[in-house]
Amino acid sequence: MVAVGDMLVGYATDGGVRKRGASGGLVTAVLAAALEKGLVENVVVMKHINEFEAVPIITDDVEVVLASTGSLHSVPVNLAKYAVGRKVAMPAKPCDAQAVIEQAKRGMIDLDNTYVVGLNCGGSMHPVTTKKMLVEMYDIDPEDVIGEEIEKGKLIFKTKDGNEKGIAIDELEEAGFGRRDSCRYCTIKIPVNADLACGNWGVIGDLAGSATFCQVMNDKGVRLLENAIEAGRIEVQPASEKAIAIREKVNTAMVNLGNTLEGKILTEIPDEARIQYYLDQMANCIDCGACKEVCPVCACGEDSKCTMFHSLVDDYSMSMYHLVRLLHLSDSCIACGQCSDVCPSDIPITILQSRFAIPAQRKREYTPGMNVDETPPFFEVILK
Amino acid sequence: MVEKEWEPKIVAFCCNWCSYGGADTAGMGRFQQPASTRVIRVMCSGRIDPLHVFNAFLEGADAVLVTGCHIGDCHYVNGNEKTEVRYKFLEDMLQQLGLEPERLHLNWISASEGERFAHFIRDVTAKVKELGPSPLKPAGVS
Repeated sequence: MVAVGDMLVGYATDGGVRKRGASGGLVTAVLAAALEKGLVENVVVMKHINEFEAVPIITDDVEVVLASTGSLHSVPVNLAKYAVGRKVAMPAKPCDAQAVIEQAKRGMIDLDNTYVVGLNCGGSMHPVTTKKMLVEMYDIDPEDVIGEEIEKGKLIFKTKDGNEKGIAIDELEEAGFGRRDSCRYCTIKIPVNADLACGNWGVIGDLAGSATFCQVMNDKGVRLLENAIEAGRIEVQPASEKAIAIREKVNTAMVNLGNTLEGKILTEIPDEARIQYYLDQMANCIDCGACKEVCPVCACGEDSKCTMFHSLVDDYSMSMYHLVRLLHLSDSCIACGQCSDVCPSDIPITILQSRFAIPAQRKREYTPGMNVDETPPFFEVILK
Repeated sequence: MVEKEWEPKIVAFCCNWCSYGGADTAGMGRFQQPASTRVIRVMCSGRIDPLHVFNAFLEGADAVLVTGCHIGDCHYVNGNEKTEVRYKFLEDMLQQLGLEPERLHLNWISASEGERFAHFIRDVTAKVKELGPSPLKPAGVS
């Protein structure tokens, strides 16, 4: 039947799910089947409120899972921490899957109990920026939006009155809108670290738009798919050579773009100006601690070094909290962008973090969250 | 009144079994060294958390020295190897932060190497004197 490494194209058998889901509803159907057949106890899904808001929920109701279909580009939430201590299946962007593995390395998640269905991701947008962009660039009232889509490098919004308007993403990003900074220089677009790597890249011909490309990454992926096929929820067929080539082409283009943008976003700062740069960036910090709270790779809990040794009474030139976090995350930051998203003072913490993390990780040839058997280099002591 | 020459403040973390002994030997051997160091004794260099180094800088140290036993000589089998892993991260981080690399040093000094200790302190003090006060020094601390 299904084997590790298989490249498949599949879709949900249920007409409704297939139509509502982004490209074939395969992911929704796989998640529903996993819950139905008792593979997992819960499923983490996003409950759709509107185009700019969705709440993650942990459910054991198949109907809720089936009703959650749809992709949202402007709700950039990381789901990894919802899997802590539970037996769940969850959809995941590459950075969610990375965070799940990082949590597993720190003993917080049992990977045997966690099924991760990866989704291709070209980047996500911040809801506030998106709303602003709709008004300024699209001349659309955010309230009127009923759907969005990314097609051929264009971001298309559909409105209530049936119209749609698309603007090239490059153009939007030039104007300071579009994807979040960390998504622009991200280079993991296909979640090869998840159990299944799904997405609509490489779905061609008459299936385009109504099927999902799916690569089986490991034994858990095989179990997920076979379970869904047995339950009669999905149908799969091998992907054609051409489809695989197209998927690879899209991926290469995206990764190359990410590499180019990295140089533009993480601009070189001369040695002597750097300390002032960091002091200026962090000057507005109000010590709320939200960046730690949302960090999907942080597994310290409440009593952590960064908070316990940081006191507001200290009149230090730089916050101990940030110093500890910058060091602590330099081997494990996955640049998911959560910290920048939640910062009430709009400090671009993800960028600051990446300035430390990216060189440190490259030097050690280590990418966090890709392989559970790799020890984080900070903990690696090689006995000579 | 004669203006006193600025003297850097250097925090040296010394391992109880080696470099602390080394500092002792330096004193007993009467090797000349500047009075710029404040020695903090730890039971093993593996005890030195990057946090201690940050704290030293934020409290006004102009340089921080991390010293311990030579690799293979650790009293606790591999404590200094753990230090080394951490130190490399710390080094990269402080460099990215914009602090001069001369302000942070790692050195292995055994209890018998008194002269090496004194020489190390002289060396670092001279370098830091050239650099001037640390940019992380809080206001009001000389």
